[in-house]
Amino acid sequence: MRYFIIVVLFGLCTLIGYYFFCKYNKRKRLFSALILLGEKLTVDINFSREKLKTLIEGLDQGIKRQLYGIDNVFLDYLDKRGELSINSLKKLDFVKQDEKEFILLFLKALGRSDVDNQTKEIQSFVKRFSEIAERCKAEYKKYGSMSIKLGIVGGLFIVVLLI
Amino acid sequence: MLSKILPEKIFQIIDSKVNMKLVNELRFRADKPIIVCVNGKNYFLAESGVTSNIDAALYTSKIAIEDIIFRASECSIYSVNEQIKRGFIITESGLRIGIGGNIVEENSSVKTMNHFTSCNIRFPHNVKNCCLTAFPFIFHDNLIENTLVISPPNCGKTTFLRDFVYQLSERKLPFNVLLIDERGELDVNLTSNFCDKIAFCSKKMGFENGIRSLSPDIIVTDEIGQEEDIKALFYAVTSGVRLLASTHCDSMENFLKKPLFSELIKEKVFKRYVFLSKRNGPGTFEGIFNENFERLG
Repeated sequence: MRYFIIVVLFGLCTLIGYYFFCKYNKRKRLFSALILLGEKLTVDINFSREKLKTLIEGLDQGIKRQLYGIDNVFLDYLDKRGELSINSLKKLDFVKQDEKEFILLFLKALGRSDVDNQTKEIQSFVKRFSEIAERCKAEYKKYGSMSIKLGIVGGLFIVVLLI
Repeated sequence: MLSKILPEKIFQIIDSKVNMKLVNELRFRADKPIIVCVNGKNYFLAESGVTSNIDAALYTSKIAIEDIIFRASECSIYSVNEQIKRGFIITESGLRIGIGGNIVEENSSVKTMNHFTSCNIRFPHNVKNCCLTAFPFIFHDNLIENTLVISPPNCGKTTFLRDFVYQLSERKLPFNVLLIDERGELDVNLTSNFCDKIAFCSKKMGFENGIRSLSPDIIVTDEIGQEEDIKALFYAVTSGVRLLASTHCDSMENFLKKPLFSELIKEKVFKRYVFLSKRNGPGTFEGIFNENFERLG
């Protein structure tokens, strides 16, 4: 029984470490995907002038995965099935409140102006997303792998204590 | 389609309490009552449906108008900017939405419109046989006379043109008809078997390309209003193509005073003038005249 508890506690500590690792990783991926989305929209709006819905639906599966459901929230909004609000992004628990608000601002700005202004607007959002993505990368480097290590070290410490 | 464009509450009322078959137009103005044009007459939209009581009227906000235009463009204003520059949007289902707002100019031309403050949604209706009164005056001896349909806005010019093309097809008259449809309004549910269409381009471009590539017998076009359009008409006539066109004017007397048409009148390009009004509802015939402005009917 004692050994079982030791193993469970060790696993728990490692999991907590892994949770934080995932959080930093997801943040990094999300903002990188938003940059890609912005750049793709800029190109497509300038060249094909396709409707937003078609552009979002036609996104590469890789980008879609890394958007963690933002594309679906936006498609629901375009189809009048849902609203664009902080609540609609509640699944993004790894994103800070101000970042969520910024993502919503980005989505709300899409499709509301002519090609020139839309392009400029998207570019300014991409610039800001790049700054956040850089910060996320730095956080990931600094805290991502450290979280797992801390989890394992913490788990081992409990094991030693209990033994 | 309206459900995709209009705010939920307004759509619910229109859907359940307004007979859309009779509605010509819906008008939205920022912070003003919503207007419903039924059979050519304006009423207010209220919770209970259509009313003439302004106290019961529903109002729209500027945000709601911007949202209607955003939704009408299928959430992609940039994709319809060429239409917006000309003051309207044609929706996926063929509804024309006229837009009021600020025009942004660049190098003396319209770049776009923004800060939308009003819009009107026009509902085209196919009124079968509405052109029959004028038909025998326009078509006789197996020939179509060059005809100009004149009326104030909302009096059924486009409906007349649409029905005329339909009648040609119904009578199996194998004229190749070319619709030059600058605003995408002419061919809603049109069932003509001899009809080609060039849409969303200027009349000049439409006439030149159409005559060259589609060799039409008749060109049908809406809303002649610029010097460039007159040149296009002359080009068509000198190319041996028959014309059926329309223009805005409130009376025959005022039409004769319009300098834009003086050359056309002098050269007797049009052999028939059909004047419409909405005195007894849209499409009321006020008269059919020949090239010398003698009343034929």
